[in-house]
Amino acid sequence: MMKHHCQRPEAPRRVVILGARGFIGGAIQARLAAEGVSTVPLGHADLDLTAADAAARLKSVLQPADVLVVVSAVAPAKTVPMLIGNLHLLEPVCEAISGLRLSQIVYVSSDAVYADDSNPVTENSYVAPSTIHGMMHSAREMMLRSSTAAPLAILRPTLAYGPEDPHNGYGPNRFRRQAEKGEPISVFGGGEEQRDHVFVGDVAGIAWLSIAHRSEGIINVATGNSISFRQVAEMVAAQYDGRARVVSVPRPGPIPHLLHRFFDITGCYKSFPQFSFTPLKAGLKLSMQRTAK
Amino acid sequence: MTKPVLGFAGMTHLGLVSGICAAEKGFKVICFDPDSTRVTPLTRGEIPVSEPGLPELLAKNQERLLFTQDSTMLSRCDLVYVAPDVPTDDQGRSDLDPIDAMLKSAFDATRDDAVIVVLSQVPPGFTRGRRRPGRILYYEVETLVFGRAVERALNPERTIVGCADPEHPLPPAYANWLRARNCPFLTMRYESAELAKISINCCLVASIATANTLAEISEKIGADWSEIVPALRLDKRIGPHAYLSPGLGIAGGNLERDLATVLRIAGETGAETGLISSFVRNSRHRRDWVLRVLHTEVLPYSPDATIGILGLAYKENTASTKNSPALALVGCLANWRIQAYDPWVAGSPVSHPGFMSAARVEDAVKKADALAVMTPWPQFRSFDPQIAARAMRGRVVIDPYRVLDAGKVVNAGLDYFTLGARPLRGKRPGDS
Repeated sequence: MMKHHCQRPEAPRRVVILGARGFIGGAIQARLAAEGVSTVPLGHADLDLTAADAAARLKSVLQPADVLVVVSAVAPAKTVPMLIGNLHLLEPVCEAISGLRLSQIVYVSSDAVYADDSNPVTENSYVAPSTIHGMMHSAREMMLRSSTAAPLAILRPTLAYGPEDPHNGYGPNRFRRQAEKGEPISVFGGGEEQRDHVFVGDVAGIAWLSIAHRSEGIINVATGNSISFRQVAEMVAAQYDGRARVVSVPRPGPIPHLLHRFFDITGCYKSFPQFSFTPLKAGLKLSMQRTAK
Repeated sequence: MTKPVLGFAGMTHLGLVSGICAAEKGFKVICFDPDSTRVTPLTRGEIPVSEPGLPELLAKNQERLLFTQDSTMLSRCDLVYVAPDVPTDDQGRSDLDPIDAMLKSAFDATRDDAVIVVLSQVPPGFTRGRRRPGRILYYEVETLVFGRAVERALNPERTIVGCADPEHPLPPAYANWLRARNCPFLTMRYESAELAKISINCCLVASIATANTLAEISEKIGADWSEIVPALRLDKRIGPHAYLSPGLGIAGGNLERDLATVLRIAGETGAETGLISSFVRNSRHRRDWVLRVLHTEVLPYSPDATIGILGLAYKENTASTKNSPALALVGCLANWRIQAYDPWVAGSPVSHPGFMSAARVEDAVKKADALAVMTPWPQFRSFDPQIAARAMRGRVVIDPYRVLDAGKVVNAGLDYFTLGARPLRGKRPGDS
C-alpha cells in the first residue's frame, strides 16, 4: 500500500515529465492537462538525455516543489546494449535530482521486474527479473531510490494498450491493427496464455492519483483480470462486425515458461479505493474509436 | 494430602478464567492483581471479559475465590500461576514487561517452598532466564481459546509442563493439582514446552492456510469446499476436530504472535522458515477477500455505496477486535458509509468518517448496497434474508463463514458470495 503525503488530492504547482512524447508519457501529460495541472512536457527533442550537458540542463529546468515524472526509456529493452543505454539515460536524471528538494518523483517502471511465479503478483512479490527489460527497470528503480530523498512513487504497469501505442507487440494493439488492415488476427498456437491488459488511460489515471496524493511506494497498475490472448483476439474481432477473423499461427518460439500471469490488486484498492479500471472490452472499443478518428 | 491453595496473578482474560475454573475443581483460589480497576469489579461479581459460562461459575464458587490487590495474600498459596495477558504489537511482537512485573510480585510475595508457574504465552528461553536460586519455577502451556475458554479450562486435552529438569519429580502440590484436572500431563524441559505451545499454533495455522488455499481453488474451478471437508474429517490422519473451515486469515493476536516468534528465531539462528512466511502471506491475502468482492461487485457501480456489516469481533462469543478482519475491512472503506452491528462490540471501534453503529441487524442492512457478515455469530443464522432483500438497496450478500442459508439468500433475490464456492446469483422474477 502506498503512503500518501497528501491525504486529500491536491494538484502540485508543476509537473515535469521526461518522456512526455511517448505512449505512456503522452497519456500522463494529457491526463494532467485535463486536470488543469501545469506541466513541462519533455521529449527527446527537448532534452537529449544522452547529451553531455543533460544533467545540467535538466537541473536548470527543475524547480523546488516540482513533481518529476520519469517515463523516458528505449523500450522494450531486449539486448545488453539497450540495457546499458537505458541505464545511461537515467544517469543525468539521478545527477540532477540529487540535492534538489522536489515534491515527488514518479517513475513508470514495469511488471517485468517480478519473478516468474504462478502466484498472483502483488507489490510484495519477489523482484527477480527474467528479462533484460525487467532488469533494466529494476536497476533504474534502484538508481532513483539511491539518488533522492523525495517521495518516490514507482508505478509498475503490466501490458498497456491504447490507440497511440507505437509498438506492435503481441496483444491488443497488434490485433487491432491487423483487423483494421483487414488481415486475420493471428494468435500464437492456441493463444492460451492469460495476461492482464491495462488501458493506457488507466496508467495515466493511477499516475495522476499518485501525484495528487504525493504518494510514496510501489503500485502495480493492472486490472486484476487476466484473459487469454485468444479471448482478446476474439474480443477485438467482435468489434469489427464479422470483418475480422482469428487464426492460429505457429509459435515463433517455445511456449512461455510462465503460461499465465495474474495480479492481486488489493494494494490498488487500498491505495486508491475510488479508482476503477476500464474493462478490457470498453478499452478496446475506446482504442478503436480513437484510431478511427 | 490436603488440597493445595492456588494463586493466580494477573486478572486479565487468561488468569481470570483459569482461576475461576480452578475453584470449580474444588480448590481454594486467591486471585491477585495490583490494578484496582480489575479487582474491584470482580469483588462485586462483575466480569470484565465475555466468556460463555464464566459468570455462572463465578457465582457458584464465590466461597472458594478471593480477589485481592494485596500481593501478600499470595503467601498463603502453595502454587501460584503467573498469568497476565501478554500484549502484542501490530507485528505480533510480545511486550514482556507486564509478565516480568507480575512474576517479580509472585516471587517476592510467596513462600520459598511455593511453586511458581508461568502460564502466560512466552517465547522460548523466557522461563529458564527467570529462574531464581532456591525457588521453584515451572512453565505451563495455556490453551485458552476466546469464546471457549471455560470449556477448555475445565476439560483440558492434556497439560504440558516445562521444567528445569524433566527427570526431577514434580512437587507434591503441583502434582496433586495436575491430577485433579483429569487429563494426561507431559513434562519436558522449559524450552520444549515453550516451543510446544508455538508448535500447536503453527499446526493450527497450517490447517487454516491449507483450508483457505483449497477453498480459493474451489471458488475458481466450481468445487465446493464445504462438500470436501466432511471427507477430510473422516480421515484419521486429519481428524474430526481439524481446523478446516476457511476464513479471513488468522486473527486474534495469539497465532500471529507465534508465527512472528518463529520468524524471529529463524532470523537469529538461520533456520529455514519459508513455510511460516507463506502462512503469513496467505493469511493477509484471505483477510482482504471481502474487500476484493466489494471492489469487483459493488463499488465501481455504486460510488456512494453504503455497506452493511454484521459482526466486528474477530470471532464469535468474544468482544475482542484484535486483528479483526471486520475492522481491517472498515479501514479500507473510508470513502463509503458503513452501518455495522455486533452483539458485543459497542460503539465505533475504529476511526471512520462514515461509520454508524447499528442497534439491530435490521438497522445495519437498511438501504445497504451490500451486506457483509464478518463474524459468525450464532444469532445471525436466524436472520431472514427476505428482510435483507426488502430493506437493502443493493443485491450483494457476502457471507465468508456461511452463516446464512445460501438457498434462502438466493431465493430472496440476493447474490450470495462465500468462501470455498462460486458465487450464487439471486433468483429474479421470471427465473425458473
